[in-house]
Amino acid sequence: MTTSSKSALAQGTVVTGRWKGGRYMIQRLLGQGSNGVVYLVKQLDSAKLYALKMGFDTVDIQSEINVLKALQRQSHRRGNAGRDLSYLVEVDDYTLQGREIPFYVMRYVKGDPLRSFLAKRGGLWLSIAGLHLLRQLRQLHENGWVFGDLKPENVLVSPYGEVELIDYGGVSSIGRSVKQFTEWYDRGFWGAGGRTADPSYDWFSFAVVCIHLLAEEPLKRAATQLPQTRSYNDLLAIIRSEAALSPYRGWLERAVAGNFRDTAEACQLWKELVTSPLSRRRPRQKTPRWMLGAFALALTLLGCALYLTLGF
Amino acid sequence: MKQIMLITDGCSNVGESPVMAAALAKQEGIIVNVVGIIDYGTIGELGSLEISEIAKAGGGMSRLSGTQKLAQTMQMMTRKTVVQTIQHAVNKELRQILGNSSFEDLPPDQRSQVVEVMDELSETSPLEIALLIDASASMKPKLAAVEEAIRDMMLSLGARKGNSRLAVFHFPGPHSGEDAVLDLDWTTDLGTVRSIFQRISMRGATPTGPAILKVMEFFQYGTLKGHESKNWMEETGRGEGMLGDYVV
Repeated sequence: MTTSSKSALAQGTVVTGRWKGGRYMIQRLLGQGSNGVVYLVKQLDSAKLYALKMGFDTVDIQSEINVLKALQRQSHRRGNAGRDLSYLVEVDDYTLQGREIPFYVMRYVKGDPLRSFLAKRGGLWLSIAGLHLLRQLRQLHENGWVFGDLKPENVLVSPYGEVELIDYGGVSSIGRSVKQFTEWYDRGFWGAGGRTADPSYDWFSFAVVCIHLLAEEPLKRAATQLPQTRSYNDLLAIIRSEAALSPYRGWLERAVAGNFRDTAEACQLWKELVTSPLSRRRPRQKTPRWMLGAFALALTLLGCALYLTLGF
Repeated sequence: MKQIMLITDGCSNVGESPVMAAALAKQEGIIVNVVGIIDYGTIGELGSLEISEIAKAGGGMSRLSGTQKLAQTMQMMTRKTVVQTIQHAVNKELRQILGNSSFEDLPPDQRSQVVEVMDELSETSPLEIALLIDASASMKPKLAAVEEAIRDMMLSLGARKGNSRLAVFHFPGPHSGEDAVLDLDWTTDLGTVRSIFQRISMRGATPTGPAILKVMEFFQYGTLKGHESKNWMEETGRGEGMLGDYVV
């Protein structure tokens, strides 16, 4: 039922829209999301490059388009404050062997998936990409949406760390159920909460994405243990013990626990974390126990002294 | 919306044809989905044929899945079935208004509005799902995974805006002639799903068809004993102990 459209279209095929007549020539396959296949195409009339997504299922792809449209309306209403999240260009159907395949055209974003970006640039760049990503999420949340299926594959990063979210198939409005999710990044999978779409659902996924990128092995171990014993305490243990995560430790703990007032605060705290000079990012040494003891003793003595002074 | 989800790893071998039972369920407005579990080797040609036949007759879909992907598969099927049920209803309405066309034939802008309504309905319509678990001997090593998948499913159902409830059955029962046993009555409560399969004693037979009929009865009367409950109690004399589970 949904299989026939999954076979890739050959390079050079011209896709003509049934309703609006737009003509797009397939350049190459860009990737595959849960709702459809994405191609790089050249619009024949303008010779501009776009990305074109062909849906597997009319309802699923249409509800994704609806989200993009709603986002577009919202950003128009707000004027040009913030970046234009939506990138919808055209919606149409393509007739292939007597079947109608729904597709939409969006702007083409050059970039690497988050993982290969970090592999090229080094793990430190997560701080920059992370901040951009959080800002994108913040904009979504403030418009009443939750991204839902946040994972490294769905994040494209430009050479200087600017971030574009791709695949809006999992976007749900706040208060609804999360439509699509991927096990590792799902808080239900870790017993850390429900699947109702709220901003904290994305914070949680964001935290697991960070763990995945910087401490993959321990995450894999925790994720593949018996489901009965798996819990979000395993994530906390990884956050506390892995050296690679130490710069983000406090932030990640809060994200896993859903402990931010809102995404603006999450952004703010992440920013403070990554803009503080490197020297201050070294793990702070704990106050030695003897010093605490001495302090307590001093306080007691002060108390006694005061008591004695006032008493007499 | 009413759905039965059958989870099995082999062929039925006792009683009425499960394909016929599924066709009956569909007549009663209950959609039947089937998951075939394939952890060790395959499910056999006969098994997979039966699975797809049951689903076709029951108006649902069938999938083969390992225990690893079970939770994901079950949720995908549930969600798709809800969407499709609504899609059918919407298409029917549209045909009445527009004549011979379905929403796929609408121009994109109108289609967008229709899908908005469909999304809304998928999220808010009440949903009842009865899971019917094959507990024949070969399923034993897979039950822990099945239980986990059920817990996961409750989590997703719990997040829906509309009322959703779940009941769990296994088959066959410990006594011959007992085609399905209720493990978990209609619930929306996650806490109770911890250990549902304590009472299972494994037997070899796989009366898939009769079990589906039992679950249909449950949809109708809210109990497995259905309209014959009186006779059944008189006949067997075991009624009292069992009754406690269902009344309240």
